[in-house]
Amino acid sequence: MAIDTAGLTSDDLKTEEMVINMGPQHPATHGVLRLLLTLDGEYVTHVEPVIGHLHRAQEWQGQNRTWFQYQALIDRVDYLSGMFTSWALSRAAETIDECHVPERAEYMRVIVAEMNRITSHLLWLGTYLIDLGAMFGFPFYPFREREKLLDLFEAIAGQRMMFNYIRIGGVQREAPFGWFAKLKAFTEEFPDRIDEYEAIVTQNPIFLKRTKGVGILKKSVAMDYGVTGPCIRASGINMDLRRFKPYSVYPKLKFEVPVIEGDGDTWARYMCRIQEMRQSNEIIKQCLDQITGGWPEELAERRKSCNSCGKEDCANCGGDLKIMAKKQNAGLRVKAGEAFAAVESPRGTLGCYVISNGSDKAFRFKWRNPSFCNLSVLHELLVGHPIADIMAIFGSIDVILPDVDR
Amino acid sequence: MTSSTITREIPKPGINFQLYELGKFIRLSLTWLTIIFGAVWIASWLVGVLLPAAIEQFMQGDNAHFIGNVLRALTPIVSVMVFIPINAMFMVLCERRALALFTVRKGPNRVGPDGYLQTAADAVKLLFKEDITPHGADAIMFTLAPIIFFAPSIFGALPLLAAVTADHPLYSFVNLPTGIFYVLAMSSIPVVGLVMGSWASNNKYSLVGGLRSAAQAVSYEIPLVLSIITVCFMAGSLDVVQIARQQAGGLLNWNVFGGGALTHANLGSITSIVAALIMSLSCVILFCMYLIAACAEVNRIPFDLPEAESELVSGYNTEYSGIKFAIFFLAEFTNLFIVSTVATVMFLGCGAAPLPILDEVMVGTVTSLLAWAQNNLGANFGQLGWLINSLINPTTFVAALWVILKVYSLVVFAILVRGTLPRFRIDQLMDFGWKRLIPLSLILLIAITFLKELV
Amino acid sequence: MTDEAKPQPTPSPAPAKAEPTPLEIGRYGKILQANGIASKRLPDSCGVETVEIDAKDLQKAAKTLRDNQEVKLNLLNCLAGVDNLETFDSVYHLWSYENTNEFVMKVSIPKTQVAEGKLPDVPSLVPIWNAANWHERESYDLVGINYVGHPYMRRILNPWDWEGHPLRRDYKQPVDALNDKNPHSMR
Repeated sequence: MAIDTAGLTSDDLKTEEMVINMGPQHPATHGVLRLLLTLDGEYVTHVEPVIGHLHRAQEWQGQNRTWFQYQALIDRVDYLSGMFTSWALSRAAETIDECHVPERAEYMRVIVAEMNRITSHLLWLGTYLIDLGAMFGFPFYPFREREKLLDLFEAIAGQRMMFNYIRIGGVQREAPFGWFAKLKAFTEEFPDRIDEYEAIVTQNPIFLKRTKGVGILKKSVAMDYGVTGPCIRASGINMDLRRFKPYSVYPKLKFEVPVIEGDGDTWARYMCRIQEMRQSNEIIKQCLDQITGGWPEELAERRKSCNSCGKEDCANCGGDLKIMAKKQNAGLRVKAGEAFAAVESPRGTLGCYVISNGSDKAFRFKWRNPSFCNLSVLHELLVGHPIADIMAIFGSIDVILPDVDR
Repeated sequence: MTSSTITREIPKPGINFQLYELGKFIRLSLTWLTIIFGAVWIASWLVGVLLPAAIEQFMQGDNAHFIGNVLRALTPIVSVMVFIPINAMFMVLCERRALALFTVRKGPNRVGPDGYLQTAADAVKLLFKEDITPHGADAIMFTLAPIIFFAPSIFGALPLLAAVTADHPLYSFVNLPTGIFYVLAMSSIPVVGLVMGSWASNNKYSLVGGLRSAAQAVSYEIPLVLSIITVCFMAGSLDVVQIARQQAGGLLNWNVFGGGALTHANLGSITSIVAALIMSLSCVILFCMYLIAACAEVNRIPFDLPEAESELVSGYNTEYSGIKFAIFFLAEFTNLFIVSTVATVMFLGCGAAPLPILDEVMVGTVTSLLAWAQNNLGANFGQLGWLINSLINPTTFVAALWVILKVYSLVVFAILVRGTLPRFRIDQLMDFGWKRLIPLSLILLIAITFLKELV
Repeated sequence: MTDEAKPQPTPSPAPAKAEPTPLEIGRYGKILQANGIASKRLPDSCGVETVEIDAKDLQKAAKTLRDNQEVKLNLLNCLAGVDNLETFDSVYHLWSYENTNEFVMKVSIPKTQVAEGKLPDVPSLVPIWNAANWHERESYDLVGINYVGHPYMRRILNPWDWEGHPLRRDYKQPVDALNDKNPHSMR
């Protein structure tokens, strides 16, 4: 193992260094990350992340499976935000295919994606507090709300985590009756819940001590490493693809991108995510009001007049009131060409680079995973911190290991 | 384009759910406490009263008397031995259920009626697990460590028994004139076991955990001992029974509220009143300080750095499994119980009720019940009537009830803290110990010593 | 799945790359040209200017575009190695943190120029962006492109003792070779 000790200061009092292997079986590495740490006492002098324990050859599988088959697999790339991986792939394929996605489908995509952003951030909040040592207490509160959203996901997509809901050309199916009302009720009460979390966490003196001024990510370093998402917004760079390079129906929605000016420490990253949850909640509320065609109950009522004809020129079934623009079957093909499409996932810019040759399989897939890029900055953040801060910092950049390893 | 309605109701945990679970939690606690103290009570009665009496009855001579006395002398040990494992089982279950209550869950509710036997099942599982000594470990030290960690908590607690039973004849001989010093001395031994175990396990995480634990124990022992010494100054004694006795007679006589400073203050003199007020305030601070230091002493969140699960993978007991791990586990909860008992004895008036009238009423009720039983039932049993009478000593019974209430309130408080706070970092912990707690405890020691004279 | 069962998936032809008539030089191409870097424009990949440049010019081109005050392409968003049947491509997606500019650079190494048993050499971009570090390691691991000047060129996703580069068109899984020897194998 090459451990570079050349840059260290040496004086007579220097103690012997200890190499410690954190992970892949470690309760706080969020999966199977392995960190080779060199410690001087309790302080980290060198760190080498070793990844790949969860490598499932997602790109290879993409090239050896048809588009239709692969759609079902990509939720596993990032299991906490499966909607976004599906969305990135769909956007890439639709860009190549010059396929127009109906507006109603785009609204549905935004709704489920923002719901997914909330669930992802909620899970992060719970696990982050576990990283900080609040072992059994508070972490379960976020799961209470997450559970409600997962139930809604189950109702609309049939699955709680691996949705396969956003498809190339639209979304899988219409929301069931009553779904919108349940979601609306959730959005009404959710801000109070966030207030509840903030009341417990944000002003907690031990929490502040553990997070303020810890793991400072400077703007220049972040830009050098290609960090995106809440991490870079906490460092003061306003880069959110929903506003930066708007896609889908985001230009029609009113929301703010939370940017925390300041040090870019772990506390800023925490605040950024908390505020993002509030904004996502606002987005869902607006979508519920604005969605083209209205709620499914109303739409079904209107479709009684045309007997759900499904014709393209029908005022109730066609055009932007559809939810799917492409036929979903094993013969799903995408024109030849190449595209790079990105969406703003809870962890940052989730990009999908696709080369298609017009057959039923893609020629080359390349995922640009936010966790992968954000994790590469980890060693810059850890060196010089005590061992206890490793988890506080690592947790704050919100890495999902399947997203890193694919 | 098919649409279906959601049939499944999304559950809404509300206040009713919480109240329901709280009721179940209280029921569980009462059941378990009855089991624990019933067992201890019966065991000590058997060993301390029934067996000696039977021996003296059926064997004649000095020998019988000697054996009877040996059995009586064994009573405290037997009651502790019976008490510790059952109590640890209850505390683990109580902790899990209480944390579940705080976090809108249900907790263990499958094994036995409503999960009552969950920890008993866990204990059986731990007993049958393979006992692994890792490669490269120092086997002797590795085996010795849990014992050294656990033994002091048995022997250290003995002098407290005299205090919590209100000097019951069967327990009064375990009382020492320097009782509280003995308890403190014993309670500082377990850290040796931790360091030993962590060094012997041949594991770097354990090593870091053990060293952290040594540093933490050294730092937090000082404010802990200083706060106890302050109480000893106030009481003018090291004898736990005497300290407990002095606090009888109502809430204001408890050491946490100044140990009688307010009641003894000379109402004619302003100095005396002001001194009494400041003293009671200082004592409240002192009590909080004791709680913090005790939390650190027994490695509870937010001071659980030696076993920090998310950093050090349980620190010193990473490599332990089976019965050795069970002993560590047992000792941890027993230590928590002991520091709570020390707090009760030293600060919270031991067996004294908050209002003296309550004590009188309760003792009176129990005495009259006993008298009734003696008159109506005792007659039927003839000679054994006195044995039944010896089941309950009214003073001890009432004192023990209050002690149980106070100690378990402190335990639940510790669980609540665990359910709320994140963990400190080691340097912050050291800063807090050396720069805040130790100076504060020294200031309080001097202040209270002077104020006591002024009252 | 029958597709899996084939030991070697039949490669499909790559999308047509070279157009018969050379395309007009674009905005970013002009900036590169002004700094003395030759580039060949390829068909836009879905509206984003795409050029192919020489391996030797890569570092200079990247530095130029990053430091250029007009376009400020300071985010190396994605780096993909592609086995394009006749060539090995290394594709760079450059974005900016300050504006919405996008640009795609490709370095193509024809397979004929790569000696037997050697890996194609492409200069590393780690001196310019640290972001390139892990992406280049991944590209080396999966496609087998050697990035010259990379500080720590070793496998990242596969185990360190893995043989071969799985995303190559001629890659044969080790397990396939084992099964070939077994007459009863179903694969």
